[in-house]
Amino acid sequence: MASNAVVLFDESEMIRFRRMTVIWGITALVLLPILALLGYFMRLFQSGAFPQIRPEWFYAVLTLHSLGMVGTWFVGAMAGVSFLLLKYTRPSLAVSKFSFWGTLLGVVLLIVCTLGGLFGTGWYFLYPLPLMSQGVWQPWATLTFFIALAILGVCWTVWTLDILRSIAQRYSLRAALGLNYVFGEPGPEVPPLVLITTVSLIVGVAGFVAAVIVIALFAARALGVNVDPLLMKNLTFFFGHILVNITMYLGVAMVYELLPTYAGRPWKTNRVVAIAWDAVLFLILFAYFHHLYMDFAQPQWVQRFGQICSYGLAVPAGVVSIFGTLALVYAARMRWTLASTLLFLGIMGWGIGGIAAVIDSTVEVNSHFHNTLWVPAHFHTYYLMGVVLMILGFIDHAGKEISGLEENPRRSKLTVILLLIGGYGFLSMFFWAGAHSVPRRYAIYPLEVAQGTEYARIAVLFITVLLLGVLLYLWETGRRCLKALSA
Amino acid sequence: MIQMQAFYVFLGVAGLLAAVFVYTIASTRRARDLDYHTAYALRRKLLYVLLAVLVVGLGMTLAKTPYPRDKDIPEQVVFVVGKQFSFGISASPITNDDEYLAATYSTPVQVGAGSFVEFRVTSFDVNHGFSVYDPEGHLIAQTQAMPGYVNRLRLRLTQPGRYRVLCLELCGSGHHRMRGVFDVK
Repeated sequence: MASNAVVLFDESEMIRFRRMTVIWGITALVLLPILALLGYFMRLFQSGAFPQIRPEWFYAVLTLHSLGMVGTWFVGAMAGVSFLLLKYTRPSLAVSKFSFWGTLLGVVLLIVCTLGGLFGTGWYFLYPLPLMSQGVWQPWATLTFFIALAILGVCWTVWTLDILRSIAQRYSLRAALGLNYVFGEPGPEVPPLVLITTVSLIVGVAGFVAAVIVIALFAARALGVNVDPLLMKNLTFFFGHILVNITMYLGVAMVYELLPTYAGRPWKTNRVVAIAWDAVLFLILFAYFHHLYMDFAQPQWVQRFGQICSYGLAVPAGVVSIFGTLALVYAARMRWTLASTLLFLGIMGWGIGGIAAVIDSTVEVNSHFHNTLWVPAHFHTYYLMGVVLMILGFIDHAGKEISGLEENPRRSKLTVILLLIGGYGFLSMFFWAGAHSVPRRYAIYPLEVAQGTEYARIAVLFITVLLLGVLLYLWETGRRCLKALSA
Repeated sequence: MIQMQAFYVFLGVAGLLAAVFVYTIASTRRARDLDYHTAYALRRKLLYVLLAVLVVGLGMTLAKTPYPRDKDIPEQVVFVVGKQFSFGISASPITNDDEYLAATYSTPVQVGAGSFVEFRVTSFDVNHGFSVYDPEGHLIAQTQAMPGYVNRLRLRLTQPGRYRVLCLELCGSGHHRMRGVFDVK
């Protein structure tokens, strides 16, 4: 609860900041159906619906869909956290605007190089694939891709640093990390939102530094310098793993801040919460090793340490955040709205996806699941049915708060039902296909794994239901956001 | 099959978690104050249970890795090179493009049923995934084919038949076409 909230903005500044948040929200709501349709296209492609289209298109769309989704929800989470932090700190509106325009430019360049240039390396542009296209994409597309990444990287790093700066203006690092709670010392009250944001964004800076090194090494390679592929792989997955995970943590931070207002109960930082999130700060830095289990050239102790850290991350998530959510809501005088329902169900999706991820982080299991559809199964679960629901919950909450427009409970209920049936139905085909050895990132399934085509067809039906839910959400929440824009 | 075991474990635990969430939603119909002492005691129990599960899980699995151990001596060595978009698989070393082409188009390598075989896997261009599918189409083992590195995958294949190799690391527009084959006799 915002017991230590302070007034840091005058009314006109607050209106401008709220407006910027609404603009971020509307941007996410515009990108959501477009990027979802790209995913729909991919599953249709895998089901054999477009035999006349070349596979190069599949891989280009795959690249745009994955980078677009990760980027959209990262900025969505950043905008949400910035808005909620206004009660405690003073993030810069100018930096938020700078990030907005930089993000738009980066997205346009990504569209140009993928849909215009057929750049198709997947989100992770694993070295040296961008430089070895077999003539499918031209050097200009590769250059455009890296320029886009550089622009996005600069904007998001500046934004990350600015939010950390705003926290540092009010809280010392020791306080912001909750160390006074850990050691039982007197200190300022630190809301979980501040603690989790601090932990996430410190890790985020480390991830962005790794991304900068990757881009620099690609540039060095273009100039003829030899680059170690294993080093590049470590840096790439370090960055990617962190970006996805901090997006989820920022989503969870919003739940810590917002759900108590619906449950009518407080959710404060205490010793257990502080220890849990400080442990995350350490564990997350090494859990990424599980992406490289099948690189036998990595030292074996590194692989085992990766499994230990991956398992370890389940403890703070399960015992503190998921249990905390359940305890907060259990038998509470809960105000169930579209926003609170999505926030609550988002934690459930995060948990369910996390279970599948922990299973896959077992080295022995990973050698049977690595790069099968089990992987998109678990990350779509904690992303689509996890953090995306949390952010959609936040956008609806903010839109309602600013516009004052009430919701239609029946439409909200139908929205949630469609999202759940469509979402989990679509994911079930990923899980089932992964358990049956169907590879991920295949435009066409060859005879050896032909069953993947059938699973894709069933998935398409569920995605149709999911898209109906998304459209209903957009109708409900979109009109609130549009009204909020003029409020 | 380990995949289905993992699937059912996931289904059980995820189902339990979903049931707890549904139960919690239902509990809000009869609102009452939360007994924090009971909640904290429950959290402590959850911590112990989760720690126990994870420690047991680590104990059971941490030693079972597919990585080569120095004390094991392979009875047969097979050389593998990945290159956009095929695997060259040969009983003799592949050191250049000509040898790679010869390995790609020659008759499939034969591996003795039940013998302990080492696949020495590398790449001549980008990253590939050397992924072995048994005659029934189950993914039974894999390692990365990476330029500049040789990954050693050791297997004892007892089931005779034709084994397919698919690439599980996105390697370009022909990724889904990339394959190799060997026989176990």
